Amino acid sequence: MSEREQDWLKQLDEQALSKQEQFLDMIAAKLKRPRVKQKPQRPFSGAPDFWQQYELSETEKLDMFQRNFEAAGGYVLHAATLQDASVLIAEKAAELKALHILRQDEEPLARLGLEQALPHVQVRCWNNDETEDWKARAAEADIGVVLADYAVAYTGSITLLSSKTKGRSVSLLPTLLFALIPRSSVVTKLGEVLKQFDELGRAELPAGIHFVSGPSRSADIENDLTIGVHGPGIVYAIIIDDII
Amino acid sequence: MSTQQTALKGTVKERAQLALNNDFLRQAVRFTTERLRSGKLKAAEEHGNWDEWRERGRQIRLHTIAHLDYYLGEFATNARENGVHVHFAATAQEAIQIGLAIAQAKEAKSAVKSKSMVTEEIHLNQALQSLGIEAIETDLGEYIIQLANEAPSHIIIPAIHKNRYQIAELLSEDAGEQLPPETSVLAGYVRKKLREKFLQADIGVTGCNFAIAETGSIVLFENEGNARMVSTVPKTQITFMGMERIIPSWADLEVMATLLPRSATGQKLTVYMSGISGPKRADDGDGPEEMHIIILDNGRSLQLGDPEFQELLNCIRCGACLNACPVYRHIGGHAYGGTYSGPIGAVLTPALKKNVAEWDDIANASSLCGACYEACPVKIPLHDMLVSLRRRKVEAGHGNALESAGMKGFAGVMSSSKVYHSTLKLGKLGQKLVVRDGGIPAKIGPLKGWNSHRIAPSIAKKLFRERYGELKAELGQQVKANAEVEQRMQQWLKGRQDGGISHE
Ligand code: SF4
Repeated sequence: MSEREQDWLKQLDEQALSKQEQFLDMIAAKLKRPRVKQKPQRPFSGAPDFWQQYELSETEKLDMFQRNFEAAGGYVLHAATLQDASVLIAEKAAELKALHILRQDEEPLARLGLEQALPHVQVRCWNNDETEDWKARAAEADIGVVLADYAVAYTGSITLLSSKTKGRSVSLLPTLLFALIPRSSVVTKLGEVLKQFDELGRAELPAGIHFVSGPSRSADIENDLTIGVHGPGIVYAIIIDDII
Repeated sequence: MSTQQTALKGTVKERAQLALNNDFLRQAVRFTTERLRSGKLKAAEEHGNWDEWRERGRQIRLHTIAHLDYYLGEFATNARENGVHVHFAATAQEAIQIGLAIAQAKEAKSAVKSKSMVTEEIHLNQALQSLGIEAIETDLGEYIIQLANEAPSHIIIPAIHKNRYQIAELLSEDAGEQLPPETSVLAGYVRKKLREKFLQADIGVTGCNFAIAETGSIVLFENEGNARMVSTVPKTQITFMGMERIIPSWADLEVMATLLPRSATGQKLTVYMSGISGPKRADDGDGPEEMHIIILDNGRSLQLGDPEFQELLNCIRCGACLNACPVYRHIGGHAYGGTYSGPIGAVLTPALKKNVAEWDDIANASSLCGACYEACPVKIPLHDMLVSLRRRKVEAGHGNALESAGMKGFAGVMSSSKVYHSTLKLGKLGQKLVVRDGGIPAKIGPLKGWNSHRIAPSIAKKLFRERYGELKAELGQQVKANAEVEQRMQQWLKGRQDGGISHE
């Protein structure tokens, strides 16, 4: 960023700070009380009490995740090991004649050995080369492969957190998405994942936290469902018993 | 390294084309779409204790709005810590000024936008275009109505008023070739076209469903993935948010995430829910390098401290009150003449302007049946507010004795189902008339005549009949067109009951 641009931004930020004071004073005045500067006491927060108690057994969680994910148009597969998962991905890639695969730069995904399993497919690894245009690589990929941080049974969602080795584009731009879900990371309800972000606190949060519950969809043309309008049109969740 | 390396040096457009291995897409997508269409997939379990969830949602919203100064301040501080440039705008004009200044500093040529009612409210697109910056709506429905140069007619299903032939015509013109009126082809065209736009755009513009005070994060709900595109691909992100969007914590988001999608589309959760906490981290491979959040008042604060209307700020823009409202279902969104339609629009539009005189009589066309309150996930008493608005209008001298009589006449009409039905038909005609005249005007003919012409009910009835005859003769065709819209709306609602096949 040029120096001039930086100065301009700094000026903009200063203006915003003084504007903020006026803005918040005005709100307090409308509410007919002085500014509140201490964190207010909260009689209630988060989900209702009955919901906090709600907990499913492991089999119920896996079943419910599968039901919801499939109802939204996703597919759920099961694999005992990474080796089994690798076979599932390779079969699908061959069947659909994929040309490009992009995976997150994570150790378990490296152990899938897709490069060896699919010698005719260009398999890339997110952000492992600074000179590469990674968004373009993601856009051309037929298949993206990610490792889920969590999965939520009640909503049928996969949670993906961004980092240097985990691009947001990998779960978004390819046509088909494979998300590997370690069996132990499936939780019952959304709140179990969300509360961890409160506990982690601002400084520890990644830039992007994404919940994905099936294929991209739209019914904007005469209510006629179409999938893959912007994001992946096909999403496979592979639940893995053991990734060690 | 490989042949793909050379492609990198090509233009962005070439790269985008590379992105579309179209055969792969077609094969892969066909199967799932068919599977989804054929089987009636029941959304798994019904969600129990709905009223407890609603009550908790209401409590969270009430608490946050009652301490809005604190939570907004906390949000701004945390977002800045995340590296966001946070701005405050008292008016639409100020918000536009800030947005344009940023766009100019970036020497932007184009901006891609995901769905945002706030940017509709401040007319951002027109402002950007006035500087020669292309503003592209990327939600499928929004893209379609942008091509048609119209405004959304529903908060959640913006293009509900267009059929596939009209859409095919608009998109064919855009494409410069004839596209068949088939959903998959039309959507496929938009996917390809917008991919190029995403990769070219200098700026991504988003709205904000919720903002989390404790971590300075914004949360976006969507089904298509375009909001993720807009907040991942361009270098600069600008997020416009109404000042009331705040919730305290991520734990509270569980409640909102339970209420919003179920009320909006009948889904357990939208396909994507994204929490964004600042620009990309230094070594991240994607995400915006620079992020701005513009917090807007634009009349919202007028509701603060007003016992009758403060709860309007609890609204989570789910559209459930529109779907529930018999009047909206008959007259369609454009008849309301503002950015926000349906029961919420009928109250919010005049409230934001603090101008009861602007309260169109089309908004008066609420049957006060209370269906909107029943549907509202945060229990906003919209029907009480409509009554208060009417009262205030009279008190402010915008009504007079005759007009009150007119209102009684109106009430009479509402209670007589036959006349009521005709009135609604008239509303439909009015809408078509308006649309045909181009643009989206603030006022609507026939129902406006009902009250604002200050005529006694008997005369009004005569006028009503006369106009109805005239309009009917003139617009016979278009009545049919509008019945189609109503049918689509019904179908959409039914699809939801059948189990999450439909969406926003
Ligand atoms: S008023 Fe209630 S039902 Fe209507 S859009 Fe707002 S939150 Fe939804």
